[in-house]
Amino acid sequence: MPFWAGPLLRILILVVTALAVGVFVDDATGWALLAAGLAAGYAHHLIQLGRLTRWLDRTRWEKAVDVPQSSGEWDNAFAALYRMRREEQAGRERLSDSLERLSQAAEALPDGIVLLDTMMRIEWCNSMATRHLGIDAVRDRGMPITHLVREPAFAAYVKEAGNVDPVVLKNASPPVRTLSLSMIPFAESGRLLISRDITAIELADTVRRDFVANVSHELRTPLTVIVGFLEGLAAGNVVDMPGLARQHALMHEQALRMERLVEDLLTLSRLENDTEPPREDAVDMPGLLESLREEASALSGGKHRVELGEVSAGSVRGSADELRSAFGNLASNAVRYTPEGGKLVFNWRIEDGCPVFSVEDNGIGIPPEHIPRLTERFYRVDNGRSTATGGTGLGLAIVKHVLARHQGWLTIRSEIGRGSVFSAHLPRQRLVATHPCA
Amino acid sequence: MAISDHSSRRFDEELDELRTRVLQMGGLVEQQIHGAIEAFGVGNFEQLEQIENDDHRVNAHEVGIDEACALIIARRQPAAVDLRMLMGISKIVTDLERCGDKAAKIARKAKGIFDHEMRRVPCISDIREMGEIAVSLLRAALDAFARQDAVGAAAIVRDDVAIDEKFQAITRQLITFMMEDPRTISVALEILFIAKAVERVGDHAKNIAEQIIYIARGTDVRHVTWDQLERDAKGEGESA
Repeated sequence: MPFWAGPLLRILILVVTALAVGVFVDDATGWALLAAGLAAGYAHHLIQLGRLTRWLDRTRWEKAVDVPQSSGEWDNAFAALYRMRREEQAGRERLSDSLERLSQAAEALPDGIVLLDTMMRIEWCNSMATRHLGIDAVRDRGMPITHLVREPAFAAYVKEAGNVDPVVLKNASPPVRTLSLSMIPFAESGRLLISRDITAIELADTVRRDFVANVSHELRTPLTVIVGFLEGLAAGNVVDMPGLARQHALMHEQALRMERLVEDLLTLSRLENDTEPPREDAVDMPGLLESLREEASALSGGKHRVELGEVSAGSVRGSADELRSAFGNLASNAVRYTPEGGKLVFNWRIEDGCPVFSVEDNGIGIPPEHIPRLTERFYRVDNGRSTATGGTGLGLAIVKHVLARHQGWLTIRSEIGRGSVFSAHLPRQRLVATHPCA
Repeated sequence: MAISDHSSRRFDEELDELRTRVLQMGGLVEQQIHGAIEAFGVGNFEQLEQIENDDHRVNAHEVGIDEACALIIARRQPAAVDLRMLMGISKIVTDLERCGDKAAKIARKAKGIFDHEMRRVPCISDIREMGEIAVSLLRAALDAFARQDAVGAAAIVRDDVAIDEKFQAITRQLITFMMEDPRTISVALEILFIAKAVERVGDHAKNIAEQIIYIARGTDVRHVTWDQLERDAKGEGESA
């Protein structure tokens, strides 16, 4: 049925009825009926039009206003409007859903992101950027980024329009210490500022640099001595026999020192790269302690009293070589760093079911601020003293690694002027008890 | 971020540019102070030298900004908030320059201490802690200036007390050192100068914060001392 059929039918009915009344009653009534019918129809349209206007008005300000209902042609129009609005709403929801997902994705990024306009003003940022740069996405909208990120290096970077390497900010606000900032052009003329927390990378870098510098330094010192003497010999400097013997002895000593250092470095790198668990030998501890005592006495050359304190019976499971090297390092450290006449005591006891090897000395003690850093490679409490004692600076690092491989740990107690206790703890399951222990 | 409506767009741009320059100077000063305290903590001689040499850059900023301020006042004859902004900037810049001087002073003193190979320097960690507070106050003050945030500025005025307390504690500690061992007196005095310089940075941050309140609130005197307000009001009366 075409759209004009309904209205035509209704007008036809009205005209025919009015004609019939005009013929059968009288003319005037017929005209009156026609006029009344037309007026009623007109009024109906006006009312519907008014409802439409009101709805259009209200729908501009309020969202959820239902489309009016009616009948006939008006209802068709209203229904079409209703469908349009439903579709539009669905479209808008889809759009805001995908926007929401996008911004959630931006929030989930581990890096800070700031959207900048052509004038380098902040348009939007994620919460990581708030953490890194202290930018508030709402409050700081429209603020030039250089007003809040004020480091001169960054200002220069912005001026270069990001054509140089990313800037590294050293004094970012805590807890982040080091930030890397880079800028990427995006859309037509906007920019994307990305901030990345590189504190950990920077730290690892420093440790590596320090390590290389330290190794080079430690190797160079003995080499300087050896090369010096050799050059003297090559230049034909006349040295008498006792002098030559002394030079020879010194060169030998320095060569041994280098050898020790290289050995320690190899041990460390082996320990670090070894992903296999340590061997499971049964290590006879009382026997090991006795041999450690003998070695320490020999190293001391009678300058210290070396004693065995408490020695529990029993053995532990673990790599005999590694444990021997770790405990040996603790023992030789004690000999090296305890002044002449000092007393060293080696103990092997069970504490709370866990086996503990400890070395006590009555030496000078270690200031508390140094204790947490002692196991760092080449860390020296006192630079002047330690090279003279022949240590490589790697001993405690080796101890720490060996113990870690055996699920053990090192504790250091020290009192200035009283002495120190280095204790190597092993887990209880490594204990092979010959007698049940308390 | 328009401060007010102007018929002259150019004027707005000039003011914005001036604010940017102040904040850039602030960034440089922040870096100088942070660097000075850091380099003092770890004994980085080259960095200390660098900081001392860079002080002239701070001074150049001060001169340039002051000149620009005077030029804008003469050309545009600003009133109300714009005038307050210009007056405030002129004072903030002075405080920033003093902060820069403090950084150079810390660097100079620290160099002196390490030159004499004084090995046991007392209170280094305390000074670092105090320095961190001072730098964070200065940073907060500049943030508040960028945002025209009077409430944030008011918080800085309050927080300055923490630095003053730290300074008192360091002074007491140094006195103990000097009484225990008179040989430490010379190094302790140098440390005291450094601590004082750091403490002054906190004071300058506070001054900047007070200026921000003045710029943002104008006649609102809730967080401003009376004589401060009087001076500000006089400055406004003279040029308007």
